[in-house]
Amino acid sequence: MQAKTGDNVIVDTKDKEVKGILMPVPESEGEVVILKLESGYNIGIDKKDVKEIKLVKSYSEKKQKTAEIKQNKKLPTVSILHTGGTIASKVDYKTGGVIAKFSPGEIIGMFPELTKIANIKSRKIASMQSEMMRFPHYNIMAKEIEKEIKSGTDGIIITHGTDTMHYSSAALRFILEDLSVPVILVGSQRSSDRGSSDAGLNLISACYFIANSDFADVAICMHENLSDESCLILPALKTRKMHTSRRDAFRPINTTPVARVNFNDKNISFMKKGYSKKDNKKLKLKLFNEKIKVGLIKTHTNMFAEEFLAYKNFDGLVVEGTGLGHLPNEETDEYTKENKKIFDSLKEMIKNGLITVMSSQTIYGRIQMNVYTPMRELQEIGVLGHLSDMTPETTFIKLAWLLSNYKKKEVKGLITKNLKGEISERIEDKTFLI
Amino acid sequence: MEIDYGQINFKCGIEIHQQLDTHKLFCSCPSFIRDDKPDIVIKRILRASAGESGEVDAAALHEVKKEKQFVYQAYSDTTCLVELDEEPPHDVNKEALKITLQVALMLNARIVDKICFMRKTVVDGSNTAGFQRTALVAADGFIETSKGKVRIDTICLEEEAAKIVKRSEKEDIYNLSRLGIPLVEIATAPDIKDPEHCMETAKKIGMILRSTNRVKRGLGTIRQDVNLSVKNKARVEIKGFQDLRNMPRIIENEARRHLKLIEKGEELKKEVRKANKDLSTSFMRPMPGSARMYPETDIRMIRPDASKIKIPELITDKSERLEKDFSLNKDLADLITKSNKTEFFIKLAEKYKNIKPLFIADSLVNSGKEIKRRYGKEIDISEHIEEVLDYLNKGNISKKAVFEILVEKAQGKKVDYQKYSLMSDEEIKKILREIIEKNKGAPFNALMGQAMARLRGKADGKKIVEMLKKEIS
Repeated sequence: MQAKTGDNVIVDTKDKEVKGILMPVPESEGEVVILKLESGYNIGIDKKDVKEIKLVKSYSEKKQKTAEIKQNKKLPTVSILHTGGTIASKVDYKTGGVIAKFSPGEIIGMFPELTKIANIKSRKIASMQSEMMRFPHYNIMAKEIEKEIKSGTDGIIITHGTDTMHYSSAALRFILEDLSVPVILVGSQRSSDRGSSDAGLNLISACYFIANSDFADVAICMHENLSDESCLILPALKTRKMHTSRRDAFRPINTTPVARVNFNDKNISFMKKGYSKKDNKKLKLKLFNEKIKVGLIKTHTNMFAEEFLAYKNFDGLVVEGTGLGHLPNEETDEYTKENKKIFDSLKEMIKNGLITVMSSQTIYGRIQMNVYTPMRELQEIGVLGHLSDMTPETTFIKLAWLLSNYKKKEVKGLITKNLKGEISERIEDKTFLI
Repeated sequence: MEIDYGQINFKCGIEIHQQLDTHKLFCSCPSFIRDDKPDIVIKRILRASAGESGEVDAAALHEVKKEKQFVYQAYSDTTCLVELDEEPPHDVNKEALKITLQVALMLNARIVDKICFMRKTVVDGSNTAGFQRTALVAADGFIETSKGKVRIDTICLEEEAAKIVKRSEKEDIYNLSRLGIPLVEIATAPDIKDPEHCMETAKKIGMILRSTNRVKRGLGTIRQDVNLSVKNKARVEIKGFQDLRNMPRIIENEARRHLKLIEKGEELKKEVRKANKDLSTSFMRPMPGSARMYPETDIRMIRPDASKIKIPELITDKSERLEKDFSLNKDLADLITKSNKTEFFIKLAEKYKNIKPLFIADSLVNSGKEIKRRYGKEIDISEHIEEVLDYLNKGNISKKAVFEILVEKAQGKKVDYQKYSLMSDEEIKKILREIIEKNKGAPFNALMGQAMARLRGKADGKKIVEMLKKEIS
């Protein structure tokens, strides 16, 4: 019988015999047998040297017990919808593989504190890394949220991979109209297998915030700083992942956080005055049109018209320009002829119906397309975005959502109009690099 | 009564942890242990519930465990996001891996085909990640000892833990400057025959490690854990040996403790014990269960290449070479190799043909200590000795002046070599005659005493004796 992953085996090579448990081999590692030794260490043995793998004992999977959960009538109900990412997964210590955990029993097994805060409902609605997401996933999330609200939940937590969590929060904020309960997106930057994972604090803080505040909007809940002391509730439309790996990677852009949840004394302090509150409004969904094509292009020096032309059959294009809203569109000397080509191509594409919106790669600050002549020329040919302070990601989501739900003519007017708090009319001094 | 260790079925193995003298294992931070005021302080909780055994414990649902807070101190200039568990590990430190492979070869071990770094769960807060990164690099080695082969089961490369600053009921404070320093861990099989043999084994492995010339030196940079059992009863682990010379007595005392308990019919517990100053041991904590390990997925598997690894000459071989080639005594040769000055010494000995190698060796390893002891001043002898020996080799100064000049240098004085220049034979003769004239009839020793007082540092002692004898006769 052929030995399989998890089996106890003896690997016989030309000069040694090694006892251990057969481990899965990642595709990237090539022709090797990975064995977990009795000491717990894994080692790789070259396949070409292996004469025989003798089966000692087959792997038997442990039946997992799931605890029954008693409902506490005094506590509110919080629904946790899982989309994937590291937050709701744990390691199978035997094989090293990551197994997703979705049932309420399993979630509570990992974070028992939750039972003191709310009655937990939990299920899986997707199982993916967030960078793999497409528009249909935003619609799936919205529909599942609607289902939960209809069933009478007091709030919803979406567990999500962190890479595009700010795209999803923006998408949901636009889709969900007249939201009556909070929808909080939660991720983790350190995987749950390690004792130091930020998953627990983020999830518990989100749950506590839902159960103990009157907030009823979409937001992100993540670490405030490097300590396990507090989480921030961040605005759905004005937050961005600003670091590849830190726990406190999610930061508000051009605005303040909504609130702080202090973990130790369980204190919620609001930092924003106006926010939508829980009430009996009836939820309406304005979903994404899954066929809409919107692009996002970052400008740079030495650009080519071809880069823009790739979007000629798209419905919309967000340009992540430089500074106040520039792109290389002028021929200033013998070396800059290509810039003129860029300008002409863009002009042609806009004329043919491509809705083009400017946003800035500085991330912070507002677009102002009157300051320099080249930008005025861009406005002349129909580049939108003047006076917007939306992040490139929010601009992208908003443009796609508008194109899904409005006529092109309306879209042009709405893109720079503040619909749901995506544009700050005033940018306060103390919102930079916080 | 003496213990017959064969009779009591004495089983003993040793685990040695040695810090390597490179930057950290998974980031570019210097391996710089410090305890000054940190400019970064963060607080963390390690969740016990996250990633437990896979089975959901029903009791855990209703009992929310009180988590201990951990306070981590760090420094902007010598620690980075990796130690703070805010950035994934970089690629493994190639230098540290190379040293480990050298050690593996010196211990006659078999290097694995592919190295897999593991996450070894650590819940005491000594690692910000909640686990220690460790990998098995080689296995099945051995060393020769006076009592036969001692097998080396495993050679691992791992991260050093953070240093505890203060423990209290509410929180433990750790300093992150030590976290991530590369450690080589060497574990022997239980082949050690008796307490003396354990010390011999520890010393031999320590010598092999130092022979790489790339290990850290000083207090706490090498640690020995001894595992032992007698009469097939429970195994204990002893930590915290401060001085290897005390190791045999501590082990003997521990074996006696076991025998006494067995005789009384009391149960021996599997536990970790601490070596005490009075050479006894005391309970530290229960023996941890086998550590849970799972793959460190942030680091790709590594195919080690030992084909270009050079095996360094053992310190003991170097010492023998010095004894033979330069007629040094064993103590002096050992001192040279231990203080890592072999190459420098050979260079000096070959350059200064007019000076005896013994004198060079002695000045090199002993004069610094002597100056420290007598004058309380620190001096890096290696930095100054060449200049001084140059004068000596040319015959411009006396042997005695070498030490005196080094003292002046240690005191930060500018050395006036003129002052130490030797007198010509004519000048010496003149002074000797003066002394003889003034002390007519005095015995030779008295004359010699006066002559030495006048001529110290200006002429070689032997020469003075000879010339004085000549003048008197």
